[in-house]
Amino acid sequence: MIRSLLEEARALWRARALVKVMTRREIAARHAGTALGIAWPYIQPLLTVAAYYLVFDVVFSMKLGDGAPTKAVGAFLVVGALPWMAFCDAVSRGMNSLIEAGGVLQKNALPPVVFPARSVLASAAIYGPLIALVALAYIPSHGLSPALLSLLPLLALQLLLSVLLGYVLAILAAALRDTVQVVGFLLSVGIYLSPILFPLSLFPEAWRWVLWLNPMTAFVMAYQSVLLLGVWPDSAVWVAALAWMAGLALVLNILVKRSRDQLVDWL
Amino acid sequence: MTDNAHKTLSSTAVTVPPAPPVLKVQGLGKEYRLYASPRQRLKALLTGRTYHRSHWALQGVSFELHRGQCLGVIGDNGAGKSSLLKMMAGTMQPSVGSIARVGRVTAILELGAGFHPDFSGRDNLYFGGSLIGISSAEMARLEASIIEFSELGDAIDRPVKTYSSGMSVRLAFALVTAVEPEVLIIDEALAVGDQHFQKKCIERIMAFRKSGCTILFCSHSPYHIRHLCDVALWLDGGQVKEFGATEPVLGAYEMHTRLRNRQDALESDDVPDAGPQQEGAEPAAAPPAPAPAPPPDDGLSARILSVTLADLGEVADGQGPALLNSRDLVATITVRGLGDERPNVGFMIEQSKGVGITSLATHEEGAEPVRLPNGHWQSVLTFPNLPLHSGEYVVSAFLFDTSGLVVYEQWYQFLHFRFVTPTLMPGLVRLPHHWS
Repeated sequence: MIRSLLEEARALWRARALVKVMTRREIAARHAGTALGIAWPYIQPLLTVAAYYLVFDVVFSMKLGDGAPTKAVGAFLVVGALPWMAFCDAVSRGMNSLIEAGGVLQKNALPPVVFPARSVLASAAIYGPLIALVALAYIPSHGLSPALLSLLPLLALQLLLSVLLGYVLAILAAALRDTVQVVGFLLSVGIYLSPILFPLSLFPEAWRWVLWLNPMTAFVMAYQSVLLLGVWPDSAVWVAALAWMAGLALVLNILVKRSRDQLVDWL
Repeated sequence: MTDNAHKTLSSTAVTVPPAPPVLKVQGLGKEYRLYASPRQRLKALLTGRTYHRSHWALQGVSFELHRGQCLGVIGDNGAGKSSLLKMMAGTMQPSVGSIARVGRVTAILELGAGFHPDFSGRDNLYFGGSLIGISSAEMARLEASIIEFSELGDAIDRPVKTYSSGMSVRLAFALVTAVEPEVLIIDEALAVGDQHFQKKCIERIMAFRKSGCTILFCSHSPYHIRHLCDVALWLDGGQVKEFGATEPVLGAYEMHTRLRNRQDALESDDVPDAGPQQEGAEPAAAPPAPAPAPPPDDGLSARILSVTLADLGEVADGQGPALLNSRDLVATITVRGLGDERPNVGFMIEQSKGVGITSLATHEEGAEPVRLPNGHWQSVLTFPNLPLHSGEYVVSAFLFDTSGLVVYEQWYQFLHFRFVTPTLMPGLVRLPHHWS
């Protein structure tokens, strides 16, 4: 039933050495020619996160009301915003990867899947350590809770989600370039359709279902409960994340099957 | 040409061993789906329904190649040659059919794609190598020889954006041919870069061929196909028209081209004078189309210096071409070779408006140009008692390298002349004959 998807996975596995080289290269290309070099990709998200903390917790000392997982606004924002930034970066780079690789794909016999995969992996190599750093910084808020272990499957699942969604969007973008514009818009408003800026309890009850249309809602809530409260994520969160994953896998399977022999011609 | 044909035919007979084929193509087809707009394409992708018109660029192509065979792919523009080569190379997926390949396949299609301008040549070498399946450990071993072949020297550590187009093409060629493949796919661009590097490219390809590499070669030049290939595949409208030993297939294709050219000429009423620019009248035996405008003479590269016909009269105004005042046609061709290499010289006679008559070359007949004291080379070609009927004729001259594979320069249809001979019978040439 998902034979096309399994074939892609096998092709990706066979090309793993190449993916490794390409991922390293992708990271290097992001700061090629700069003086600070490899530090740049890390500095930008780090500064954004630091700005949240300074503005909301140090300068204004804003507090959240009852029902929020924490009182400090800055601390609350950072936990949701950093994984969201990671998601946006991975998905938009994954989406553009095939179009940008058009020239290379037309001249080299390579499986297309390696391009979205390397873009998402390069993104993960930058944001993964940053999220781990933030997790360390939050240890004092809950003591060293064993729930921190759930970060590993969470990060792995977010990586898989980004690869699946990135590849789906990359194929759609190859078929119709407008995809890039639409998704760019969705990613910029998506932060409001998630419990990143406000805790779930602040959303009107009748409209909360809208939040679950955002694949990151489940992940954001999971990060919040682990990092802020030190408790294991709710099972509803895992179910939602896995449901998204299964849905995307099915969609990707169909798209790969329908586009296989022409994908490169569209680039 | 007859000699050559024999050579080709016999070598085909020898190179078909009972071993399993290196390349086996079965029922290959490529469908291009033409959508009215990209929106239709997305709709088709999402709904799985049909919103396209089909265009089959290639259909039902099957053939086998054995180790050491060289296949020339010929056909008109749009016959599906590049689609076939791209599918062989694996950069394009076939819609139907299968391709079975053994071992490493290297394609020399478009060189230099995939280099990142901000990274150094060396860095691009490692990355480009990983794209074509050369691991970094293997590259560390090959690196020195690749850089040496590309003749980039210290420039290898400069960013690729500082390279001239010739430099990146040299690096790309050195990279893709660094490992000897089992199957080599070459599209037209047999030679890249300057004359000196062209020679090296061709020598490397010939070395591969000698050691048993199977070659797929696509070219518009029947001259090169004759020289290199022992089998030929003629594609017409996406289908195999003929497949077999080079000479018969090429002969049939040339006949087809002539008929089509004549058809074209009949359809367009006012055909311009058959000047040197006229493409349509290109005779079948001609080497490939001229290289883009020859560079200014640098005093070093191989060139045709002069071609003179003896006893040619003055060109009188309004009289047409000069009259040949002799029974014999004696052409003196003076050329400069590349370095100390002995060049070869070719000469062709055609009707001014009409068909090709003969083309000759020193390397075809074991004749060698003579070295002059100043280092130039000269060949004097004599047609005693020129066996042509009265008419207007045009000549072309060609300069080849020692092997005859690199065409350094050509003076294509550069000189017209008139020839008058008393004869009662109609015709074009007096063939050698006897009555008994």
